Amino acid sequence: MSIRGLFTPITKIRRQVFEEIARFAYERDLKSDDFYYFYESPYRIIPGEVAKYRDSVFKERTIIRERIRLAMGLPLRPTTSYQNLTDGMKECASSKKQLELPLVTVIPFACEACKPDHFKVTNNCKKCLAHPCTSVCPVNAVSIGKDSAIIDSEKCIKCGRCREACPYGAIIRSGRPCAEACGAKAIESDELGRAKINQDKCVACGLCIVSCPFAAIADKSEILQLITAIRSGEKVYAIIAPSFVGQFGPLATPGKIISGIRELGMDYVMEVSYGADIGSIHEAEEFMEHVPDEKPFLGTSCCPAWASFAKATLPDYAYCIADTNTPMVATAVKIKEHDPNAKVVFIGPCIAKKIEATYEDVAPYVDYVITYEELMGIFSAKGVELTELEESEFDVEASADGRNYAVSGGVANAVINTVKNRDPQREVPVMKAETLAECRKMLLLAKAGKATGHLLEGMACSGGCVGGPGTLSAIPRASKDVKAFADKSNFKTADDNIYLNIKK
Amino acid sequence: MAKKIVVEVCTGTHCVLMGSMHMMDSIASLAEIREEMGSTTEIEVKAVPCLNLCKSGTRGPFVIVDGKTIPQAEADVVMAEIMSHCNDECSNCDC
Repeated sequence: MSIRGLFTPITKIRRQVFEEIARFAYERDLKSDDFYYFYESPYRIIPGEVAKYRDSVFKERTIIRERIRLAMGLPLRPTTSYQNLTDGMKECASSKKQLELPLVTVIPFACEACKPDHFKVTNNCKKCLAHPCTSVCPVNAVSIGKDSAIIDSEKCIKCGRCREACPYGAIIRSGRPCAEACGAKAIESDELGRAKINQDKCVACGLCIVSCPFAAIADKSEILQLITAIRSGEKVYAIIAPSFVGQFGPLATPGKIISGIRELGMDYVMEVSYGADIGSIHEAEEFMEHVPDEKPFLGTSCCPAWASFAKATLPDYAYCIADTNTPMVATAVKIKEHDPNAKVVFIGPCIAKKIEATYEDVAPYVDYVITYEELMGIFSAKGVELTELEESEFDVEASADGRNYAVSGGVANAVINTVKNRDPQREVPVMKAETLAECRKMLLLAKAGKATGHLLEGMACSGGCVGGPGTLSAIPRASKDVKAFADKSNFKTADDNIYLNIKK
Repeated sequence: MAKKIVVEVCTGTHCVLMGSMHMMDSIASLAEIREEMGSTTEIEVKAVPCLNLCKSGTRGPFVIVDGKTIPQAEADVVMAEIMSHCNDECSNCDC
């Protein structure tokens, strides 16, 4: 079981931190360097003096302080020497993009140091006469101790036979929720047994953040820089990912969401599904031209966590991942061609997009990346009541296929349709995988030559982008909402989209 | 005659931030349990626009169960409240 997809005290605290920073960003005097506000923040978020979640309110508040620093885009403070809470805030409270890696980090003293994956005998063990746990173990790792069965973890190969054999269900498998969520196998341990992220392996899918039951992992945010840009009078364009539909409440229709973003002071709102349409055509052409002769298979490029994971896992086949601009980049490029001085913020479900926006070839186009959860914190801080707003529309529409990029299978389907538009006879066999663990299996098949001629759709999140770590809506509800909005488009495939060739 | 409970969940900005969509999912999940319990009470979940209850400073989400307002609602409290209404129905019979 996992806490993923449930609303827990952790979700609440995370969102309160976003709201807290957004409120500061809107209320502060832009010319002032006063950050006293943040000394009080932990007391607003953790009121009273009775600890609710951990051993003391003092520890709870100290963790909040680190979360605040991260959410402002700052690094954690060292635990072994003194540093003021507000150090560095002056520099980061500007509209300048400054996200520095690592993006996803463990707050070490919030980590419970859960023991890595292991089998364990619980107190349900009755030390029974039959003790089948010992006789089924192929490596002699289970013995009967004074009070119960004992598993020698040095010998144990985690086959699970003892667990299956126990008539009392006394043997369980337990591990680290963060490591179980991490398909890239990037979770390691520090010298105190706490989780530590191997940044060389981490692709910032962000699933550990929403899977840790102790809220010990967090990423950095650009809420403060975005709001400062808006308040400083910069022209800010919002581009919103295809999975946005239904994320802000069942009554916040796409039209009301567009109005809400404008209410925040952003001049223009565009759907990233438009960039998806550009990508579908490019990827279809790349597929028709190069697969299978020059490239044995073609991997989709839109999910940055999948794309960088695939390139790291199979470096010899890195050229088989499409070199198409991701929908985010394609949309941002279009805007900057039209208005080079604009600032572009990508609003999406994704944490890996924050890393993508730091790539050398992407950074000039995408200035900030924020998640739906962060945007909701901004709406709440600014008092934007979505349910009370009038409906607006996107000026430039995307096709149904582009809008369906948000749901697993949607990308492959869009590429197939654009291939068929060009050559109805051309077959496009597809393999697809959700979660990086599944993507790894798909890549191994590709390496073994079993994906020749295929289009490989990879998604780091379960369900596709609608399952991203920065979402608010449950996956089944979100998938349904995305499809309903896609059906409203006037264009079926990317080729039908009349806006693609019009110069704005 | 089957009784019906109306549960209104505020889906204004602040309440959605504080988890009202998950609250609706939790309430919807009660339908299965209700059947298992043999209760015939029907549960109707309604998403309502901002109730303006958060403006006084009390935190959301706000849920109204059969006319009774629950502020800072947590799923366990709301589900227990709804289930207690379902039990009322049951206390009239032999189960």
